[in-house]
Amino acid sequence: MSARARIDSMRPKRPGSTRTAPPRMPDLYPTRGRYLPYIAFGSVGLLLMLVGFGILRSVWVLGEHDPAAWRAHLSAYRHPAYIVFHLFAMLAIGWFGLRFFRLFPKTQPPKIGPLRSPPEPVLLAGLRTAFVIATALVAAVLGGAIG
Amino acid sequence: MSGRETKTFVVTRFDPDRDEAPRTERYEVPVRDDWKVLDALNYIKDEIDPTLSHRWSCRMAVCGSCGMQVNGEPKLTCKTALREYGSTVEVAPLANFPVVRDLVIEMEGFLDKLQAVRPWIIEAKDAARREGTHRQSPEELEAFKKFSMCINCMLCYAACPVVANEPDFLGPAAIALGHRYNQDSRDHGAGERNQVFRGEGGVFACSFANECTEVCPKHVDPGYAIQEAKLLNVIDWATSFVVPRGKAR
Amino acid sequence: MIEVLQHDVVVVGGGGAGLRAAIAAVEADPRLSVALVSKVYPMRSHTVSAEGGAAAVAREDDSLEMHAWDTVKGSDFLGDQDVIQYFVEQAPIELALLENWGCPWSRNEDGSVATRAFGGMTTKRTWFATDKVGFHMLHSLFQHSLRFDRIVRYDEHFVSKLLVEGGRVQGVVSLDIRSGAVSAILGRAVILATGGAGKVFPFTTNGNIKTGDGMALAYREGVGLKDMEFLQYHPTGLPGTGILITEASRGEGGYLRNKDGERFLVTRDYGVGTKAELGPRDMISRAIIREIAAGRGVDGPYGQHVWLDLTHLGEDKINSRLPFVRELSTTYAFVDPVHEPIPIRPVAHYMMGGVDTNIDGATPLPGLYAAGECACVSLNGANRLGSNSLTECLVFGARAGRKAVEYALGAGAPDEARARSVTEAEAARLDALRGSARGEEKIPRIRDEMNRALEAGCGVYREQASMALACKELAILQERVPRLRLSDASRVFNTELVAALELQNMLDVAEAIANAALARKESRGAHACSDHPARNDAEYLHHSLVTRSAEGRPVVGRKAVTLGIWEPEERKY
Repeated sequence: MSARARIDSMRPKRPGSTRTAPPRMPDLYPTRGRYLPYIAFGSVGLLLMLVGFGILRSVWVLGEHDPAAWRAHLSAYRHPAYIVFHLFAMLAIGWFGLRFFRLFPKTQPPKIGPLRSPPEPVLLAGLRTAFVIATALVAAVLGGAIG
Repeated sequence: MSGRETKTFVVTRFDPDRDEAPRTERYEVPVRDDWKVLDALNYIKDEIDPTLSHRWSCRMAVCGSCGMQVNGEPKLTCKTALREYGSTVEVAPLANFPVVRDLVIEMEGFLDKLQAVRPWIIEAKDAARREGTHRQSPEELEAFKKFSMCINCMLCYAACPVVANEPDFLGPAAIALGHRYNQDSRDHGAGERNQVFRGEGGVFACSFANECTEVCPKHVDPGYAIQEAKLLNVIDWATSFVVPRGKAR
Repeated sequence: MIEVLQHDVVVVGGGGAGLRAAIAAVEADPRLSVALVSKVYPMRSHTVSAEGGAAAVAREDDSLEMHAWDTVKGSDFLGDQDVIQYFVEQAPIELALLENWGCPWSRNEDGSVATRAFGGMTTKRTWFATDKVGFHMLHSLFQHSLRFDRIVRYDEHFVSKLLVEGGRVQGVVSLDIRSGAVSAILGRAVILATGGAGKVFPFTTNGNIKTGDGMALAYREGVGLKDMEFLQYHPTGLPGTGILITEASRGEGGYLRNKDGERFLVTRDYGVGTKAELGPRDMISRAIIREIAAGRGVDGPYGQHVWLDLTHLGEDKINSRLPFVRELSTTYAFVDPVHEPIPIRPVAHYMMGGVDTNIDGATPLPGLYAAGECACVSLNGANRLGSNSLTECLVFGARAGRKAVEYALGAGAPDEARARSVTEAEAARLDALRGSARGEEKIPRIRDEMNRALEAGCGVYREQASMALACKELAILQERVPRLRLSDASRVFNTELVAALELQNMLDVAEAIANAALARKESRGAHACSDHPARNDAEYLHHSLVTRSAEGRPVVGRKAVTLGIWEPEERKY
């Protein structure tokens, strides 16, 4: 049997004429099936937070205007644990981005003034192109090709 | 029966007069290659266990009666082909709903939510009695056509994580139907409906899992309806500071 | 403890006709309370499966007279012409009203309601909503009915008996399927809108709930069932499941082909003339059966069939005009109509016959009204034109609602004490039936034998010998059904008990069909008798009327047809 949902999920305003069994979560909740992507999607926020702390720390060290400290800080990031974390974070945020852009068209207003939103295939193609270009740019910057 | 494969069906049973809680029973069913899950359930009722209770009617995926969890996923059993499943198939009542008996769930909760969104054409306050039909262009019809396809099968409620955790949430189908009327060019009731949409359990309770759209058998896309409703409500709220509140849309 | 619930008007059945009647009743008088008693939630009613469209005069090149003439001719001159005249006048009003209530009719570019061609109609007058018109109509009606708190719904309540006292109907006995409780729902008028009885046949477009309950309820109280022998076979149903492929697929230009790919309606003479695939349903069904009998049918896992070819229409047209057909064909026949033809054969679809009513929807039993497929007004005579029945639900549902209110306002209060005692007896009967392990007969066996008897005796073509055999077999089944063995003794949501009650209703209706068919020794409309292939106006220009004798046996009588400005002539297209 699957886990119990909230006891009053989908309860009617007036109690029914017979005793009912409590609502059940779908069998695959929460560890398998379709809830996994949903929870993972929300959890990427935690990853982003950690990455954000890392960036903050880097900015802090930068602000000390000390080249030695900066080099030490950068070499600290070459620790295997950080590299594994970064790899994982890149994949997770990449997946997050793809899923976000798949759902994104639903959040667009159908009309802005006289301008209508483009048809879905055009919108999706545009978003995918933007995603690819943005990823390429970021990769280039981080890889040192630019800036 | 020769030439027919046998599948095992693990079916949830519950009789409130006899059972403390739901239990499962196993049935061996000789299935035909082109059967749907519903055909197997009817076979069980006719040939093996007449005490099995389940709802069904049209068997062509338009009445919405036969929604159940099949191997953990909410499905219309009249539309779900058995050839997609292995040798064991689990059939349970729709998730997130109280269970009345066996595979039959409590529907009154949904009807309460449907009533709350006022799913009918609300005329303008000063409208004269209409003669004949409204004019409605094909584009105006397209604006809400998709959302009017809802057969009230409630698979979306079974898939939605918010319905499971938030008892006041109106839910995908009710919001999609309310939104269908908001978008209908003949309706003038968006002001009233948006009061409900902005309230407790309204559109902003939705956390955009989009599972409702994934399971909808009629391509209603309730996920989109809810997001569009959120957006229109936010725009309406924002502009209410600038524009005097007249006809709220 | 029996509960007695008081209302002014009771509507049994929550489909197109029932909902329209309930709405008309509350609009007719603001003080009245209307009970809507349905054995399923209203949006599950079988109206929901109708696909093609609803007919009403809408275009400049059309006229009420043309619509009336098409209907009279389509009915093979058995339709009552005063009823037909009223119908065609009200049809545009009712469909426009439904539009005002939100029904999303498909539109022309200029915003007016679009119409399409349909079988037997001389011009385009079928309003449609892509190809899901019944779904949209039902949901529009249901959602509109939610506005009225004076419509009190009793969902998933099965009416097992009418309360008749002092020569008039005073309410119904209703079983709450969920709790098993039996109560009396009193009303000064009762409207039956329970639909047809396609489930008496093995292959039918009808859903599980179409078991003729209202017809049986009226029949058991002495009301006659009119024109029961006229059972419409829809030409294009999927073999095996019987799922409906709408006539609109032919209206949009689909072709019927035999195993050699020949458009047999055009190349051979089946009486449909230039109309070809758009001929009336009875003629097309007979044509298909004759093609198959001549050896030009296609073999399939569920018997022989022919092809419905939509491949020349193109993907765009199918997706915009016939999306549901594509979905049904792909899901249930595993065929994509854009690329391949769909296997189809005639399947039982609609009952022209039903509870005997007059033009007001009133039965001969005071206080009892009927509308929709369960009634026989008679609009459709011996054969119904496609897209007339959805409009019929609205027109006569509304009229029955209004007339029932008129009657109720003049009628006295029901006899509560008497109702209570009758209900208690009925509750005891149901308690004894529930889970009764006494007999040896099983529901599926009796149901299958009833299906077989009707398939053999009352198919598209009928012979006197096989009809007589069907009547005998059904009479034997009637004797066996009191000895049913039921296994489910639970009070809560006992669907086996409901199935047993439905089986009894179906047997009563099946007997009426077979006996009426046996008595009509001519061929007219949908009743094609091989022994008497010609229409015989001299002896058979009347409605049949089946009533129940004191011993409970069906007796076939007759009722006159109301003729009008059109005299019967040869029905050629």
